[in-house]
Amino acid sequence: MRFKTDLKNVRTFSKLTAALNSLEKIAWVRLDDDTVRFTVIPDTGSQVWASLSVDLIFDNYHIESAEANNTINFELPLGPLQRALKSAVGSSYANLRLTKRDGLPMLSMTIHTMTKDGNGPGPGLGGPNRATTTANADPDAGLLGLPSSTADFTQESLELTMKREREKIITQDIPVRVLHPDTVETIMQPKVREPDVHIQLPPLLQLKAISDRFTKLAVTAASSSGNTRGGGGGTGSGAGGLGGSSSPKLTLSANMHGSLRLRLTTETLDITSVWHGLENPELDPTQLAVPLEEHPSTVFKEAGPDRWATVRVDGKDWSRVLSVGRLEGRVIACFADEHALILYVYVPHVDDVGMEDVVTYYVTSFSA
Amino acid sequence: MDSSLHEIWQAAAGSPFVPTVGKDSQFYVALALLLLGLSLGGAFTLSTLTEPNSRVLSIYPTHLATVFIPAMDTQGSSSSGPPLLRAVASSTRPLYQLLKAINFTNKVHVEINETGLRFAAEHVRVMQAVSHWNKSLFTSYTTNRPRAPILANDADDEDDEPIPPIFQISLPALLETLQIFGATDAAARQAKADADPYRSNLRNYRSDAFSNQTLGMSGTCSLAYAAEGEPFGVVLDEAGVSTTCNLTTYVPEAPEDIPFDIEDLSFKVITSARWLLDALTELAPTSPDKLTIAASKREPYLRLTSSGGPLGSSSVDFAGGRDLLETFSVSTKWRQTFKFDVIKLASEAMRIASKVSLRGDGQGVLSMQFLVEVEGSGPTFLDFRFVPYAVCEDEGDEEEGGSDNGREMET
Repeated sequence: MRFKTDLKNVRTFSKLTAALNSLEKIAWVRLDDDTVRFTVIPDTGSQVWASLSVDLIFDNYHIESAEANNTINFELPLGPLQRALKSAVGSSYANLRLTKRDGLPMLSMTIHTMTKDGNGPGPGLGGPNRATTTANADPDAGLLGLPSSTADFTQESLELTMKREREKIITQDIPVRVLHPDTVETIMQPKVREPDVHIQLPPLLQLKAISDRFTKLAVTAASSSGNTRGGGGGTGSGAGGLGGSSSPKLTLSANMHGSLRLRLTTETLDITSVWHGLENPELDPTQLAVPLEEHPSTVFKEAGPDRWATVRVDGKDWSRVLSVGRLEGRVIACFADEHALILYVYVPHVDDVGMEDVVTYYVTSFSA
Repeated sequence: MDSSLHEIWQAAAGSPFVPTVGKDSQFYVALALLLLGLSLGGAFTLSTLTEPNSRVLSIYPTHLATVFIPAMDTQGSSSSGPPLLRAVASSTRPLYQLLKAINFTNKVHVEINETGLRFAAEHVRVMQAVSHWNKSLFTSYTTNRPRAPILANDADDEDDEPIPPIFQISLPALLETLQIFGATDAAARQAKADADPYRSNLRNYRSDAFSNQTLGMSGTCSLAYAAEGEPFGVVLDEAGVSTTCNLTTYVPEAPEDIPFDIEDLSFKVITSARWLLDALTELAPTSPDKLTIAASKREPYLRLTSSGGPLGSSSVDFAGGRDLLETFSVSTKWRQTFKFDVIKLASEAMRIASKVSLRGDGQGVLSMQFLVEVEGSGPTFLDFRFVPYAVCEDEGDEEEGGSDNGREMET
């Protein structure tokens, strides 16, 4: 079992990790010849299935295992990965390897970065920095398990006019748990019926800003109507999951005529935000199980702008889901009326026009 | 398209439609038309006397009908009536700021006046705070007095003094709602802050060259109150999104203002609100229970003393500089004790105000009036009133007796 790769588009990878980490601490990663898959399945809350092509975040990708398609499955804590990626952002070079240290499987990230004297080198200038990397750094530092930040002190640059830049090599080890293919076989992507409405969401950060206000409103309304604060304070510290049952629910609706509606109703108020002029993307008839005319969305479209598909989402969970907005992907929401909400976040490839990877969110929804 | 129509609607609020036939005279006009119709009908039947009787009967009802239709129509439209309040503002910031200063209760009383909205909050009947949204904070502000339920036929113009509409709404909910305005801007700014140094133009959701935000067009915030018992509506229209919030209105609790006798002032001090806040922050760390405010003609002029805390007492004197107090007049020595936590509720007002006028009346009620400078509008006032602790009989006598020097030593 071998896995070694260079990292690219670290910023995108970092944002994705941050978005996943907000939902759950551990992710299941599945690597094979062509795809990298991150799956997050929290006890309560939304599931994420991110399926990325290897080219999006990896370069010089080598994978080998006994399974078909050289598949490797492992579990990975997202917190350490996020921290590691944070130091890799803006680095000149970073790679990732699956190794063993003291008998424990580790995902080891080696980052070559320049100490910054004022303005550091831009991340776009990979070429010249790579040259200095091979010149004065020991590329095996990470392999031999040397202390984390070894800088080569013996070679001082004689050009005094140059900015004093020294290379630093950082090794971040992330413990992982390798999974047997049989154990992951049972984990299945949720099956949902054909959606009634599909719509491109407004910029997620905007949606998040308003949703968060709504959640706050619900909390203020709840605390003003009843004196639950005393009781809630005790349980709130220990059990975040328990608190989920009482956290506010927002009603989210969309129609096939470009409108999205977010609504909250409490004793003290009834608030609704409406977005108009959004896009309902055309479906590709070749990919549908039923003819386009019989598709539920066609029925909804013909029913006019007053036919809304509605789901109820948990305010806090929804806010965490929306944090994926940092990826700046196009987001299509699919509503199955009174049943389910699925978000498809399309992450564009910078260097390969037309290629898009998709991160799928199965948003937890509640009955009325 | 929808929103532009909405804006026209909003803009039209400033110039209400005035019918050629006034509402109050519609009844008479209709009556006159009816009589005219009847008489014409009569004349017509007279002129066709030669015709058989059945013909007369057939004409008669048709004339009646033609006259009655407009009469019914006018009555129907007047019963729904124009909304009691319609106001549009281009920014909610000052509105939010002024309300936040009195944010210590769940419910607030709202009173709709010709000159603006009055918000009154109170705390267990010992404290009362009033904040105003002056009409000048809005780009358009229209009120319609509720029409008297009885047909005040004769004296409708002279002594028309209807009670202004008053109701309660949830204050925290209103404050949160006002903050939604501009939330999307803040989100956009934040997105810009953590963006890549190298940002491709080919990304999704790039900003439009003609978007409202790029053009510097702010949204609108409109308030509406249709009729008594209806919800209080706040509509926030911003780039691409429109938020409608209907706040449930509650029956007012017939609140009585804390009586403050402006004729019987014991002292009046005008100073910087900031200094008053500083003084209170100075006293707060000992977590006192009570605050005593004393004003006297001699040193220490104005003294705030905290007591009742576990860590002893402390006091702040406003005695140092001449320019510390802008106005200072004391007619009789005044000394009252208040609950510290209640006074602390006014600290947000002290923070945003530029000046404060402290007044005490003969009964011991303290009034704090804050002057808040609002951008783009004149000064606005926040009124706070506090009821002091009841003074025990003997202590009261001593105070009334007033051997001033001896008592000051005590503190």
